[in-house]
Amino acid sequence: MMGLSGGVDSSTIAALCSRAIGGDRVLGLLLPEQETFKQSDIDDAMTVAKKFNLDTQVCDITGILESFYKSIPVFDPVDKLCKGNIKARTRMTVLYYYANRLNRIVCGSSDKSEAMMGYFTKWGDVAADISPIMDLYKTQVRKLAEHLGVPRELALKPATPALWPNQSAEGELGVKYETLDLILFGLERFLGTEDIAEQLQLDNELVVKVKERWLSAEHKRRMLLVPKIGYRTNGQDFRLPRNDY
Amino acid sequence: MKERIKLALAQMTSRREDKEENLGKIEALTTQAKMLGVDLAIFPEMCLTGYVVRDQLYELAETIPGPSVQRVAALAKKTGIHIIFGMPALSEKTRATLYNSAVFVGPNGLIGAYRKMYLPTHSVFEEKRYFRPGYQPAAFSTPIGNIGLCICYDLFFPEVARLARLAGAQLLVCISASPAVRRSYFETLTAARALENTAFLAYVNLVGVEDGLQFWGGSRLVNPTGDIVAKAKYDEEDLTVCEVDFRDLKTAEAFIPTLRDIRPELYDQLRNAAERI
Repeated sequence: MMGLSGGVDSSTIAALCSRAIGGDRVLGLLLPEQETFKQSDIDDAMTVAKKFNLDTQVCDITGILESFYKSIPVFDPVDKLCKGNIKARTRMTVLYYYANRLNRIVCGSSDKSEAMMGYFTKWGDVAADISPIMDLYKTQVRKLAEHLGVPRELALKPATPALWPNQSAEGELGVKYETLDLILFGLERFLGTEDIAEQLQLDNELVVKVKERWLSAEHKRRMLLVPKIGYRTNGQDFRLPRNDY
Repeated sequence: MKERIKLALAQMTSRREDKEENLGKIEALTTQAKMLGVDLAIFPEMCLTGYVVRDQLYELAETIPGPSVQRVAALAKKTGIHIIFGMPALSEKTRATLYNSAVFVGPNGLIGAYRKMYLPTHSVFEEKRYFRPGYQPAAFSTPIGNIGLCICYDLFFPEVARLARLAGAQLLVCISASPAVRRSYFETLTAARALENTAFLAYVNLVGVEDGLQFWGGSRLVNPTGDIVAKAKYDEEDLTVCEVDFRDLKTAEAFIPTLRDIRPELYDQLRNAAERI
C-alpha cells in the first residue's frame, strides 16, 4: 500500500516495491484534493504506475477535508500549515484504512533530507510500516530513481509536500537540495559547522541554521517522550526484536 | 592541611548542550558557597553539558585542561574555593575518544581529574557506546584534605572507593547522574561505601528531567560510620552546606577497623574468580 503523488520519492518507492514483490502486489493510492489538484501530477503518478505495473485507485479526499474544516471549532483557514497538516494526516488515515481493510502494509516514501530537516507532518506523510528510502538524501533518491527507470523528468521534478497550492520544498527549506544534502552529509559525519562551511564554500550562518533545524526536529523522529518509571520503559529501554509483518 | 572543611553539595539542574548556561550556574553557586565559608563545592556528574546528550557528546567534550576547565579554575582562584564537577572529556591524544570525567580544581589551578571506571550500559544507559573507561583510581592530597573521586555507577563496585581509600583518600567524593528508579540503591550504596572504608563520602546527584529521565537529587554527606549528616532535597535544586571533621576518622577507624583487617591475599582469589564468572 503506498501513496502515489507523482513526485520523485513515491515514484522511486513504486519502482522499488515493484522490483521487490511485483507490481501486481502493490496498490498505489492517488489522494488528490481540490486545492492542490494538478492534472499533471495525476498523469505522472499514472505513468509511474503503468511503468512499474502497479494497481492504482483514486480517492479524492476533498470531502473529508471539508468535513474537518467545518467540524473543528477553532479551524482557521488562514493558518495554512495547520490546515496542510490535516491533509497529510488524512492521506495517512486513508492509506492505513486501505492497508487494514486489504491486509497490506504501508510503505512510506520519506527521504533522509526531509527526515533530518523535520520537513514532514508528524504522524502524517512520514507514518508508515516500512520506509525504504529514509536513509537516502533527496539527491541520492533522484539518482536511484533514474537508475530504476523512473522517467528523467519525474526524477528531476521539483519536490512539494502538496499541503497548499504551488508549495515548493526548496523554497521553504531556503536552500537547494544539492547544497542541503552536502551540509547534512557533513553533519551526519560529525563535522563541525565551520568545517562544513569551509569545505562547501558556504556561509557558516546557513550551515548553523540547517544544523539547528535538524536538531530541533528530533521530537518528530523519535518514539513519544515517556517518563522513565518502570523496570523497562516503552520508547526508552525495551529492546525487543522487531516482529516481521 | 585543614582538619575541618566545609562542603557545598551543589545539586543543580543542567541545561542540556548549553555549557555557557551551566558554567554560569556553577559560577553563581560557587559565589554563593563562598559567602557561606565553603572550602569545597561539588557539582554533579556531566553537569557541564547535561547527561542525556547522546551523539552531541562528540561536539561537547573538551580536553582537560580546556576552555571550560580553565574557566572553572579561574573561578576557584577568584573565590579561593576548591571545585569538583563532571564533564565529558576528550583525550588529548585523539579527536573522538571520550571519558566521563570528574575534574578537581583549586585556587592554584587544576589538581587532577578522574575517569569513570565503570560505565553503565544497560537499561537507559549507553555510556560504553560513547566513553572509554578509566583505569586509575583518584586520590589527591590537597590543602583541604586527602580527597578521592568516583562517579555514579562506580559505587556499585566497592573496589573503586577502596582503591581511592587505600591511596590515602579520607573524603570520597561521588558525583552522580542517577535516575529516580534507582534512588534506593544509591541511598544504600553511599552509606555502605563510607562505612566499609571508614571514610567520609560526599554524594552529589544531578536533578531535573532529561529526555524522560528524572534525576532525583538527594545529595548527601555520609560520615565514616555510615550516618547521613547532611542531605539535600529530593527532585529540586539545592545547595547544602555541611562540614567534614577529619578528626572523626580516628574514632571511626578504631571502632570499625576495616582498614586494619583487610586481607590482601584474598584479592588474588577475587581476581581469579572474577575472570571465571
